[in-house]
Amino acid sequence: MIRIAQLSCGPEYSGVQGELQKAADMVGAELIFPEVSLEDVMNVEERFGIEVASGDLNLAMARATRIVENPDLADAVFVATCFRCAEGAIVRSEIRKYIHENSRIPVLSYSFTERTTAETLLTRMEALVTTAKFKGLLSRERQTGLTAGIDSGSTTTKSVVMKDNEVIGTGWVPTTEVVKSAEAAYNAALESAGVKREEIQGLGTTGYGRHLVGREFGAKLIQEEITVNSKGAVFLAEAQKGEATVIDIGGMDNKAISVQDGIPGTFTMGGICAGASGRFLELTARRLGVDITELGKLALKGDYQKVPMNSYCIVFGTQSLVNSLSAGSKPEDVAMAACHSVAEQVFEQQLQEVEVKEPVIMVGGTALIEGLPRAMEQLLGMKVMVPHYAQYIGCVGASLLVSGLVED
Amino acid sequence: MVKVMVYPPTSMILADLVERKGHEALVVSKEVRKKVDTPGLDSPPLNMTTEDPKKGLKYAAVDVPSGVRGRMALLGPMIEEAEAAIVIKGDDCTLGCTGCARTNELARFLLKTKRIPLLELEYPEDEVEAKRFVFKIREFLEGLS
Amino acid sequence: MKSTKYVVTSQDSDVLPSDIALRIYELGRDINVKETCFGVIIDGEEEDISATVEDLRKMDETNIFIKDRGFSPGDPRRCRGHRGGGARPGFYMMEHESEILPLISRGLASEARGEDPPSGVETKRRPTLEDLEAMINEEFS
Repeated sequence: MIRIAQLSCGPEYSGVQGELQKAADMVGAELIFPEVSLEDVMNVEERFGIEVASGDLNLAMARATRIVENPDLADAVFVATCFRCAEGAIVRSEIRKYIHENSRIPVLSYSFTERTTAETLLTRMEALVTTAKFKGLLSRERQTGLTAGIDSGSTTTKSVVMKDNEVIGTGWVPTTEVVKSAEAAYNAALESAGVKREEIQGLGTTGYGRHLVGREFGAKLIQEEITVNSKGAVFLAEAQKGEATVIDIGGMDNKAISVQDGIPGTFTMGGICAGASGRFLELTARRLGVDITELGKLALKGDYQKVPMNSYCIVFGTQSLVNSLSAGSKPEDVAMAACHSVAEQVFEQQLQEVEVKEPVIMVGGTALIEGLPRAMEQLLGMKVMVPHYAQYIGCVGASLLVSGLVED
Repeated sequence: MVKVMVYPPTSMILADLVERKGHEALVVSKEVRKKVDTPGLDSPPLNMTTEDPKKGLKYAAVDVPSGVRGRMALLGPMIEEAEAAIVIKGDDCTLGCTGCARTNELARFLLKTKRIPLLELEYPEDEVEAKRFVFKIREFLEGLS
Repeated sequence: MKSTKYVVTSQDSDVLPSDIALRIYELGRDINVKETCFGVIIDGEEEDISATVEDLRKMDETNIFIKDRGFSPGDPRRCRGHRGGGARPGFYMMEHESEILPLISRGLASEARGEDPPSGVETKRRPTLEDLEAMINEEFS
């Protein structure tokens, strides 16, 4: 059983400890609380570098030092503090960095409210457990044989067919009915690859609909997006060795993953804010009367500073864009302002929670909207790489990983 | 007999001294007891549920972290019930119910502004301080009845 | 109503947890007793527990301390064996206060002897400018 060390302040009193427990149970993990002495807690500054006013945070830091000193105590670490607590946010971030820098144990950082449920935590916990459990599988760098992947996303369903480390077919459809869309995307990928379904040696599924689609199509691997996206990204970007950062701005949530040798180290998964998603850009494109595939190129010609954005919100942010247009702003400036707004929100709310190290790889369909990676480059002051097949990243990761299972 | 809230509300020393003098010590373990003995609730370990941070809205606004509001759901009713209070200042060993500094600040503030007899003091560090500590508490408690 | 209490002895006490347990058995009330490193946990009906506490205090008035506990002994929700290890938060507080107990015991003993509280300057004060100057001269001359 995978042992997840819980380093936290507040979940018991927020009434969500049961939810954390439930999420851990669902992914077959056990939450553990490393033993520390009162002396360890009282001398935490000496051991960790800081002591804060809240004792439970000092306890969490003392437990972190114990894990670093005895890495066999836990397979993964879950750091959680209350949402909106500044002291908690600082300590949470420092614990995450400390574990990341001083051990090879994967860390998940999360800020909860009383509304946090086991379901919200499930994908994150699943990724944490996979990372801890299947290091061997995740270190796989080559795809072998003939395999396929289906990424059943909230907005689009994608599929690829891979053969001997190359993508040989792709398919893409908007998500309507989960299974039907998967069927269509998979068929399109098979068709473009020129292979029959029965020839496929192994199928991997990912995305929101992964369980349903996986069962329906007899997948050998059903895997959450964090693991497969990291794998797919470093594979396509040819950055399998060393550090990398993967940013995926999706239709319903965003992921920022700090990767080491192709394996996720720390990661965050952003909540459901449409203003920080591809939908905001879709809406902007529609308002500007351009196709979403043209929005990025248009944005590259624009200057975001010429359009005042008063809000990140999809409702009020769009209102700002509309007001600017009626005040005479150029469409290209509006397009770039929208890209900048999405990038800035991801930068502010998620990239602060992981170690951003180069190469920075942007994936997912939104990465193809050229203005978005450009805006991210401006914010990070780093080069952002968008690999070929960026929109198929999940399928590529799933296809690559499932080939390891086929061989076994 | 006066209801004396002690702070930290987990303090054995304060609760013991209060009860030695025949008063009732309001301690958090009694509140926890009510929670864990409530049949039908299944939210281990403390049986605090997501309703508790909502109850805590009585003492702190929604933009205050859920952990503060949840703790206040335990401590707030005790503060309301308190007829007097003894508060330890400057203690750096606070965990669990008192593991959040913001909650401790709010609770102490509410006790102070409640205008009930209040004694604030620090844990003794030597024998002389200990004698004064015990004396001050006795004097305070005897003055209550 | 059920009640659970810790009965903790100060390090200065000659009374052992086993002595307390024995005394409780002698009292013959329907009480569960669990010996621990710092004393005992007693669990039973509230009136039995209250009466027992009064009797136990008499064993060593200034060195025995009583504290309420929210959970019955062995409650799986609080037992570390059932929830991934790690001391419960209350344990640290108890350990912390246990270190101060000998001082409190001496304070209580002094009170029992009817002594007046110590007089003299109660709070630490900053040195005056003259004191500071003298200290500097002494240190650096």
